[in-house]
Amino acid sequence: MSAQREIPSVTAVIATLFGVTWKRLLRGRALWVCALIAALPALIAFGLKGNRDMQEMLHFAQFRVMALLPPIFIASSVGEEIEDRTITYLWSRPLARWTLIVGKLAALAPVAIALLLGGWILASVAQGKQPTPQELLAFASGTLAISMIAAGIATLVPRQGMSLSIIYLVIIDATMGAIPASLRDMSVTRQVWLLSGLEGPTDLVKPVITLAVIAAVWLSIAFARVRRLET
Amino acid sequence: MNVVVADNVSKWYGHVLGVSDVSWTLKGGIVGLLGPNGAGKSTLIKMMSGLLSPSRGTLTVFGRNPFDDVEIRRLIGYAPEHEKTWDELTALELVTAMGELAGVPRNRSREAARASLAQMGMSYAENRRVKGFSKGMRQRTKLATATVHDPTFILLDEPLTGVDPKARIDIVEQIKKLGEAGKTIVISSHVLYEIEALTTEIVVIYRGQVLAEGNVYEIRKLIDRHPHRIRIECDKPRLMAATIASEDHVARIGFERGAVLIETRDPDRCYEQIGEAVLAQQIAVSTLTSPDNNLGAVFEYLTGDGGQR
Repeated sequence: MSAQREIPSVTAVIATLFGVTWKRLLRGRALWVCALIAALPALIAFGLKGNRDMQEMLHFAQFRVMALLPPIFIASSVGEEIEDRTITYLWSRPLARWTLIVGKLAALAPVAIALLLGGWILASVAQGKQPTPQELLAFASGTLAISMIAAGIATLVPRQGMSLSIIYLVIIDATMGAIPASLRDMSVTRQVWLLSGLEGPTDLVKPVITLAVIAAVWLSIAFARVRRLET
Repeated sequence: MNVVVADNVSKWYGHVLGVSDVSWTLKGGIVGLLGPNGAGKSTLIKMMSGLLSPSRGTLTVFGRNPFDDVEIRRLIGYAPEHEKTWDELTALELVTAMGELAGVPRNRSREAARASLAQMGMSYAENRRVKGFSKGMRQRTKLATATVHDPTFILLDEPLTGVDPKARIDIVEQIKKLGEAGKTIVISSHVLYEIEALTTEIVVIYRGQVLAEGNVYEIRKLIDRHPHRIRIECDKPRLMAATIASEDHVARIGFERGAVLIETRDPDRCYEQIGEAVLAQQIAVSTLTSPDNNLGAVFEYLTGDGGQR
């Protein structure tokens, strides 16, 4: 039983956490629930073919789906790890605590992005259109930023991480984005809207930078929180 | 070098005191941390494993602070008290992942996990998901996760709680072997007789303070003055009770749903007879526990509260 011991590298730790998260995801229900949610825009596009309000409804649905997937995947996963105290297994081992967040994000954010983009591509096909690369890039960046927000919220309130993330993103962030004041610049929904070109041609640099700053702030909150978290 | 040095360590959870002004040195061997639930055993173990940082004082493991020093944690193996783990994984996947996270290289982690599970008698279930495991299987798997990376210092928080008699004997055996292999082991329990099966060196902890440390026999004399309660969950509680009832050490027998509660003045004999009854009468025991109220009474006595009665 003598196994050689050394300090695992950050990449090795993240790779292991990535693998474990994937296995748990594939054996749980969240993936299938999220796939169903991600299919909503496509279902609307198929169901309301020819309806003149369809575009508006599609955008509404797509932005809501974008706000739902990361909380279901990431906030619940991070929150569960803290709440169920499975992190005691991890943090009693020679690894930096922030690797848990990065491992989860590396495993789950791409799945959320793939589902969201898949749903949007299907919805576009249903309308006889092709999604623009700008739209796809905007939704991908938005989902990544929202994933980091969800991770941050889950470290602050593990038990209600998923529900509070959804409330924050669906109600607060979306409302903030609709207010015609400078406050809306802090809204992820607003930045993704601008980045996707749905408001017409716009300067892309500002939304990209704003999204990166918002994501970085929440990621820093998550890292700072797990560094001192005691369970 | 000392394995653990705690110097005036206190830990608060908000206004709740977990550990109060503990000064203690651990040089090696198998040491039992004995105390009733809520005494501060888990807090002390978590501080040694690097999960908690002392609110006051210093605690070092091999001369380093395990909370801030990531490297020292490669020498530590920790099995928590709680049962929840990554239940969707198989035992082999879980122990392999834990090995990798503790520094076992990827190309050797599976082999190390297999060996560790085999040592805990879990080879037969290595490809089964943890979700369906019994309490005993979970405890064995936890021990495998704690030892897969061949740590020098092993912390086991209540590893015998709720396990059936056979698993208890096996686990005690494995822990002893680890001790014989030179590992330093701290094992917590609220049941003296569990600790006694493993070591004679104990630290008695109560209300967050170390009351006594040293040889088990003195404390045992005090504890034996109080009846010891054993709760047996099994398929034939009445038959179990009938088998034991006539023994002179039995002070009282009671029943709960699917369980029999025995109060005894001679725990060693009682445990022995329970084992014999299980084999002779083909009784299927699912859980064997010792509620700690009686131990609490002894601690009250030791601290003086009860001694004045």
